[in-house]
Amino acid sequence: MPTRRAGAAVLACLVALVLAGCYQVQPPPERVERTDVTDAPIGDRAVRDGGDLVMGLSAEPDVLDPTTSSSLYTRYVMNTICEKLYDTDAKGEIVPQLASALPTLGDGGRTVTIPLRDGIEFADGTPFDAAAVRTTLERHLNKDDSSRASEMGPITDITTPDDRTVRLAYETPFAPITAALSDRAGMIMSPQALDRLGDDFGTAPVCVGPFKFRERVPQTSISVERDPRYYAADEVNLDTITYRIMTDANIRAANLRSGDVQVIDSVSPQDVDALDREDGVGLLQVGSFGYQGVTFNLGNVDGTGEPPGEIDTPLAQDPRVRQAFEHAIDRQALVNSVFNNWFEPACSPISPTSEFATEASDACPAYDPALSKKLLEEAGVDAPLELTMQVSNTPDTLRLAQALQAAVADGGFDLQISPVEYSTLLDVQTRGDFELLQLGWSGRVDPHGNTFAFLGSEQGNNYSGYSNPEVDALLDRAAQQTDPAQRAQTYGEVVTQVQEDDPIVYLYRQRNLTAYSEDVAGVSTYADGVVRLGRAGFLAGEG
Amino acid sequence: MGRYLLNRLWQAALTMFLSSVVVFWGVRALPGDPALALAGEEADPERLAQVRADLGLDQPVLVQYWRFVTDTLSGDLGQSVRTGTPVTELIGATLPVTLWLSLFAIVVAVVIGIGAGVVAAVYRGRWPEWVANAFALVGLSVPSFWLGILAILYLSVGLGWFPASGYVPVTENPVRAAYYLFLPAVILGTALAAVVMRQTRSAMLESLSTDYVRTARAKGLSRGRVLSHYALRNSLIVVVTIIGLQLGGLISGAVVTERIFGLPGFGKLTLDSVFTRDYPVIQAVVLVVTAAYIVINLAVDVLYSLINPRIRVGGRS
Repeated sequence: MPTRRAGAAVLACLVALVLAGCYQVQPPPERVERTDVTDAPIGDRAVRDGGDLVMGLSAEPDVLDPTTSSSLYTRYVMNTICEKLYDTDAKGEIVPQLASALPTLGDGGRTVTIPLRDGIEFADGTPFDAAAVRTTLERHLNKDDSSRASEMGPITDITTPDDRTVRLAYETPFAPITAALSDRAGMIMSPQALDRLGDDFGTAPVCVGPFKFRERVPQTSISVERDPRYYAADEVNLDTITYRIMTDANIRAANLRSGDVQVIDSVSPQDVDALDREDGVGLLQVGSFGYQGVTFNLGNVDGTGEPPGEIDTPLAQDPRVRQAFEHAIDRQALVNSVFNNWFEPACSPISPTSEFATEASDACPAYDPALSKKLLEEAGVDAPLELTMQVSNTPDTLRLAQALQAAVADGGFDLQISPVEYSTLLDVQTRGDFELLQLGWSGRVDPHGNTFAFLGSEQGNNYSGYSNPEVDALLDRAAQQTDPAQRAQTYGEVVTQVQEDDPIVYLYRQRNLTAYSEDVAGVSTYADGVVRLGRAGFLAGEG
Repeated sequence: MGRYLLNRLWQAALTMFLSSVVVFWGVRALPGDPALALAGEEADPERLAQVRADLGLDQPVLVQYWRFVTDTLSGDLGQSVRTGTPVTELIGATLPVTLWLSLFAIVVAVVIGIGAGVVAAVYRGRWPEWVANAFALVGLSVPSFWLGILAILYLSVGLGWFPASGYVPVTENPVRAAYYLFLPAVILGTALAAVVMRQTRSAMLESLSTDYVRTARAKGLSRGRVLSHYALRNSLIVVVTIIGLQLGGLISGAVVTERIFGLPGFGKLTLDSVFTRDYPVIQAVVLVVTAAYIVINLAVDVLYSLINPRIRVGGRS
């Protein structure tokens, strides 16, 4: 009898286990509103003078040359050694840095006049003046391997009416120029250093900044030291900053915990909760202007920048199939489950926090799998439609891809995942050797930088091979409009049309997550994603 | 011996040539494009074309290969695509780090491996052998990236005994260098120690059962002397070979260890250059590793004859 009773107990346990297995034990967490924390202010705390701050950098910067650099991470280092004409502030607005005021427009927006600050010199003692700014801007425009020329628009002439004024003349008005000058195009290089180093400027860059370049150990670290010539040298606390390259997120976090580094960027959403709970670790977080999405190949057969070709598949031919894909995605659930609620759903290339956001640009196609199936039926496609999506082979991206695979299955799609290594994915994307592809864009302050090259016909980053004359005309118009409200409205129209055609399904927007050791203060990060260390310092009595 | 060496040198030259062909074509067979890897997300077709032209990638492949061979022979390994630094400078900066790391790892491996191997052979069938065997099994089975992360977690983050990353050159401050290299060297040396232990154990067992050991014992020599002078010395030939063969493995093992501990070594250079499709760097590192393999193999052969004079290469005794 006892045996039978024990058997019954075991059976009951098994049934309970099976039932528990069927029940969703961990429901996706509810939406959590994240507030931007952009600064770890020093406030009225005492800061020690001196010290070496080490930042664990998630990727190696490329050449430290504002004209040719194309790596996002180069901006992190350049931020402490190379100030710009304009900067982005905590609210994401553009403010003067080496310029003394925002530019004034003349001749219907065809001339842009930039007033410069007085009494500033470069780290090598060369005076900072209009001629120096012109030398830099001309180098951006004329150097063969410049990455800046296209960012600066159709400039016809650069003049210096006086020592403290630079004037740009344009063929047609180009509104995004102020935003461009708040990024690498606005970093002004010492003309004397340019004369001396020429193409090798990046090996020992000289600009205006709280710190100056000291040494680079390739693939390992870059160090900068305090510049006594800096115009606000009394606001600088540290002696040196060392940027140590640590590509693995776990290793960066371990080094922060062990005290070997004080600041780390790109904290993974998987680690951030644990780090945030830890004593002595602070977290900065700010929504980015970039996006992550899925690009459909509509006509990229000969590579980007080439005229689109014909791809004879329902996906490329019929926008209803792409709309069906979009309606099958519950972005909020996707972001919650894959990124622990740290990232935000995105439905357009324009961030809702941008000053150019409008009702139209914030609109989001509804999650409606039934509608997806209906659209597929209307398009004459037999469900499930098999599609292959190429993705990067990082753990976070693979989790996203798997969640997406499960999500679109309900809408009538059989999504196959093909993981490839990042460099290969870039190659595939440019050559057009894909059906669907998941990649994103780090984002720019001005919407032009997030739309034009990706959606304009035959543009350099139009990986989809998308071409719609109406969108081209809208994008051109928006770039030339000088009134922000009008521009915002035009970009809204772009978004409406793009959501109709769906060359890209925008999925989510990352938050830039930066962790720092609480014995340092004065670290900040804004919507441009750059971690700013120029005014950082060790709190007195610590570190 | 002279003729033998000459023969080996000729073989080495042929191997180098063949490996240059393999690496040159192999790198180009990789999917991905250095210009794109450099441009990252900011790819602009005009700039890409410019970068390709600067790198000579727009030339016919045979022309590129010819340039690569002639430049290499004249000592010019080119410049890194990503940072513009001369490749010789990169190798000069990173190779010493890996060599020191490997040297420390070998010391760890030799001390632990030979010690444990001798213990296992002497105490055959008893608990010291089981402990040594268990150590060898764990050392061989546990991947170094996991062991490395555990070491950082417990010894650096938890106890704060060792730094989690960083490097000080041995020439600058040997004590601090050893402090920084200790954890990585132990992690890298553990797997090698396990191999050395197993080889030492089996070679010792074989030696201990030979007639000359029995004779030595019969002549009344002390146990320690028999073990160290007769058994161990004869067992070392196999062990030296294994260490030589594993040296190449150390460099590949260093790829993982250096990445975990943020050491600016050759392994990290290799990995980063492959990820960024930095053709000149990949080509150069593979050639250097090939040359290292050849030199190490040659050195191991020469060492044989030094440890055991009975072995003479080239037929003459």
